[in-house]
Amino acid sequence: MSKETIEEHLKKQGLTRRDFLKLSGMLAVAAGFKFDVPEATAGGAVARRARGYSADRRVLKAMETRPRVPVIWLEFSDCAGCTEAISRSNSPTLGNLVLNTLTIEYHETLSAAAGFQAEQAKQDAMAKYAGQYILVVEGAIPVAEGGIHCTIGGRTALDILKEAAAGAAAIIATGNCAAYGGLPRAKPNPTDAKGVWELVTDKPVVNIPGCPAIPEATTGTIAHFVLFGALPELDALGRPKPFYGVTVHDRCLRRPFYEAGKFAGSYDDEGARKGWCLYKLGCKGPTTYNACASIKWDSGLSFPIQSGHPCLGCSEPNFWDGGGFYQGQSAPLERPEVTAVAAAAAVGAAAGVGTALINRSNKKAHGGEK
Amino acid sequence: MTWQSALEFARGPLFYGALLFFIAGMLYRLVTVVALGWSKDRVPDKGSKAGGVVRSFLKGILIWPFIPWVKNTFSRNPLIYIGGGLFHLGLFVTILLGTPHMLVWKSLLGFGWPTLPLPVVDWLAVGGIIGMLILLVHRRINPVLRLISGPAEYLAWLVVFVPMVTGYMMTHHLFFRYEVLYTFHMFSVDFLLIWIPLSRISHFMFYFFSRAIHGQQFGKRGVRV
Repeated sequence: MSKETIEEHLKKQGLTRRDFLKLSGMLAVAAGFKFDVPEATAGGAVARRARGYSADRRVLKAMETRPRVPVIWLEFSDCAGCTEAISRSNSPTLGNLVLNTLTIEYHETLSAAAGFQAEQAKQDAMAKYAGQYILVVEGAIPVAEGGIHCTIGGRTALDILKEAAAGAAAIIATGNCAAYGGLPRAKPNPTDAKGVWELVTDKPVVNIPGCPAIPEATTGTIAHFVLFGALPELDALGRPKPFYGVTVHDRCLRRPFYEAGKFAGSYDDEGARKGWCLYKLGCKGPTTYNACASIKWDSGLSFPIQSGHPCLGCSEPNFWDGGGFYQGQSAPLERPEVTAVAAAAAVGAAAGVGTALINRSNKKAHGGEK
Repeated sequence: MTWQSALEFARGPLFYGALLFFIAGMLYRLVTVVALGWSKDRVPDKGSKAGGVVRSFLKGILIWPFIPWVKNTFSRNPLIYIGGGLFHLGLFVTILLGTPHMLVWKSLLGFGWPTLPLPVVDWLAVGGIIGMLILLVHRRINPVLRLISGPAEYLAWLVVFVPMVTGYMMTHHLFFRYEVLYTFHMFSVDFLLIWIPLSRISHFMFYFFSRAIHGQQFGKRGVRV
């Protein structure tokens, strides 16, 4: 690992102390750091906290003392949308700072090098920083037929992942594909695509699902590891709680309309124009854990629901198969075919006739009324 | 197993199976009851049978239940009348005119209809839940009801009560995470769908048949209802 601290590196890039302080504060907020310090009381009054306890001070201190951490970014069955999103992340581009300036060693889409040179650079980085680098994975890993459905440089995604994961300090699966299989896993899933955490079980894997993943969530999680050498607290689906702690619905700007029962019935009716709740149009916000409604996209400009489109639930497993995108969330996932209903009805009616015949013959046998 | 996957199961294959079982089961019940046979009618009609049926439906369902003092049920036992009335009204308004439930019908039938505003449905749902609690307490207190109530009666109460309470809680995001309540709601609804044909909750269908037959008899005998 490079001996140079993050601050030293940034100084060389021409960052002033003032900019450095601002950056620390921004990183602290972006990474969603929360520092719970017990309140000290003196004579009934709450004592003032020491300055070192504030979040931005902690980040500042870490940046001054922590070494840079290299990042290796792999892409498998993906659309590079998560990389696209990151390259457009919050100005002055947290993504740039964390990934380009600070740390990135290998990134297929962003690297200037290509082909064997790029692969060689990756091999070198993996050897040099063995056991220390962060591995970021974008895209699902197809495992059907030995994983031949996604190959890079003649090697399967599965093979490349296992190799890179072996020397990683931590693995971050960015986007729904890398986390839970995403689109490649949608029914009928011909390539048997899987998420990283199903294949790598001996390393900590952080899932940053989304389609694409919110860039600040990816970079914030990387920043957390870079600064503190530890991963943020995760939920049951492996997602960092600072970003996936509450549902989209909980922070939605249209929530008051939900509470008041005012829904848009189509994309072009009065309700839609007035900005009412999109529940009836299939919004999956109530069961979707993500920070879209608070961090938003394009420097906090907007997010799908704000622009009038229901949430698709892209940060949840199997969201492609989780019911129609434009069908209300209360609707069942499968609608029985007419033939299935008819078959059930026929079975019921036939059994009924059978029982009725038995009843009738019993009645006759016991001399019932004619 | 996460709540999401449990929910997917409850909304997907389990609901699918439960719905088909419900359809098959109700048809079985209907066919066996209808095929029990009719006694021969040897008496001339005094009035119109069809008129009796129409009156029985219109007055008996749409008018009399809302005018308490004409009902013997009310004068004899107002608790049953009020609790039962609140429960049935709240249940049907919620199932048919609540937005999320209309969307279920829409996804199954292919068409939807206008719904009532949430606050209206909400108060009726609260009324329904309170009605169910009144009925349960009454069932425990009333000596006769208590004697004739076995596990089947309490289970029937429970399988209807759980979907109502979880549905109300999830609408208002009370106490648990939304998907947890949604999962419980769906599992209880799936169980309810399976349980209806097997229990006396099937009266939701037979009620209309008995109304028709009583109305026919009233009409035939010239009784004014």
